[in-house]
Amino acid sequence: MSSSPLASATSGKRVLSGPAIAGLALAALLAVALPAFTTGYVIYIANLLLVFVVLCLGLHVVIGENGQFSMAHAAFYGIGIYASALANRAVDLPYPFAMLFGALVAGIVGLFIGALALRMRDIYLALATFAFGEAMQWVFANWDSVTNGPNGLRISPARFGPLEILSDKQAYPFVLFFCLLMIGVTVAISRSRLGRSFRAVRESEVAAMAMGIDVRRTRVVAFGLSAAIAGFAGGMFGLFQTFIHPDSLGFQTTILVLTMVVVGGLGSIAGAIGGAIVFGLISEVLRQAPQYQEIIYGGILILFMMYAPRGLFVFIGDRIREVRHGR
Amino acid sequence: MADLLEIDAVCASYGRIQALSEVSLKVPQGAIVALLGSNGAGKSTTLNTVSRLVPVTAGQIRFAGEAIQSWPSHKVVSAGILQVPEGREVFRDMSVRENLDMGAYRRNDAAGIRRDLERVFEYFPKLQERLQQKAGTLSGGEQQMLLIGRALMAGPRLLLLDEPSLGLSPLLVQQIFAIIERLNREGLTILLVEQNAAIALGCSSYAYILENGEVALEGPSEHLRRDDSVRRTYLGG
Repeated sequence: MSSSPLASATSGKRVLSGPAIAGLALAALLAVALPAFTTGYVIYIANLLLVFVVLCLGLHVVIGENGQFSMAHAAFYGIGIYASALANRAVDLPYPFAMLFGALVAGIVGLFIGALALRMRDIYLALATFAFGEAMQWVFANWDSVTNGPNGLRISPARFGPLEILSDKQAYPFVLFFCLLMIGVTVAISRSRLGRSFRAVRESEVAAMAMGIDVRRTRVVAFGLSAAIAGFAGGMFGLFQTFIHPDSLGFQTTILVLTMVVVGGLGSIAGAIGGAIVFGLISEVLRQAPQYQEIIYGGILILFMMYAPRGLFVFIGDRIREVRHGR
Repeated sequence: MADLLEIDAVCASYGRIQALSEVSLKVPQGAIVALLGSNGAGKSTTLNTVSRLVPVTAGQIRFAGEAIQSWPSHKVVSAGILQVPEGREVFRDMSVRENLDMGAYRRNDAAGIRRDLERVFEYFPKLQERLQQKAGTLSGGEQQMLLIGRALMAGPRLLLLDEPSLGLSPLLVQQIFAIIERLNREGLTILLVEQNAAIALGCSSYAYILENGEVALEGPSEHLRRDDSVRRTYLGG
């Protein structure tokens, strides 16, 4: 009762619980120390996981915070990859500028999609964004003069002044840094006035309107920010990848990201991060048996919907509590 | 006293169905005005035209002398018109505290917000006890208190109350209305939509009765309470 209204202006809902913070700290320590004791392949996987963490944060903003469905995040991700790769090639500036450009282009497209999304809800919005995602993949595959079409685009190495990044190991600290930066950005958004308005709209549009929230603007902004974060993830991809092919920017990727966010726990930042890591590792293991991959994804998603609809972490937390209370 | 809110021959429709036809009413500064009528008579629609959730097809709405019928809803809130929507529209997954914070969404004056929070706790001590609890887990009466408290956090000049008695026990209805009357005594102007005509006529100074989207009858609440046709139709005897 002692917290002042002043403090409350900045405190959104509690984003991270105690155990989650401890877990994250441990993970961060491991993450920093990783290059010291692993091979190049593991580092490559770690880079990819960190990119997926950011992609999941992007999806979290629009689905988890704002409650709008998007099946187009592979497209925003792709826009970020292509836009930052092309910007990196076109101008001789440090790579972060290319990343920002990628985020900006994806964000602008996201605002546009968000404006169209105003007229739609639920399954209709899912279908419309799905159609947009498919259309974008087609654009990536056929806009030869810009994306080099079905041959894929070579991504030139990222440069930071005199430093040119040529290996996964070299890229790793940067990828980790940008991932942590985006976690910080997402937490800041979530705790801001804007973040509160996102959640208010998610919970009740009528009540949000009655509180003086511009619901339409809020929904469009959520879509734009979400797409910009996904586009930024695309720029991170270009830090360590040398090549992008449209095939990897299709519906499968969207479903993968969606699964990560749902498995982790819809509506929580820790859930989005944890989901990306846990499910990213699962999908890496499944690479040994590609023919069963889709079935196993589907199975996991169904199991989670049935037994842990609020996600892995809430599920584990509840079990721990049950044990503690001697059930 | 001057009229804080004037609704002048307002029409509104949902698609091709006309919901309001030339409804006119006035809410004087400092009064409680009641809007009565049966289900579907257009009571909530009238409130929704004022809070700009429903578009006005003809007529004028003036608040403190300014025409507001083409404003967006968030501007109306900034001007000090706060609606308590019907149907327990709390933010269910947010705590009581966060719900109250949302009420002050459009304000920047920290000192004023703090003062209003203290006031809300004074009116509704229950809310202070349940500050960290999720709003969705509150009882019906507590949710209604939270709705009013949340609206008060916006520092309203005019409160639009939509069916505050809905689904509450008689005892809770009494409590809620005691607070509504107290708010009014302390200077808040209120436009009250109610199905419970007895209690609404009891606390208001003037009332309008809507039928099929038109004002069928209006007058000082005291007179309406004694009017035979009103007694038969709305007061059950």
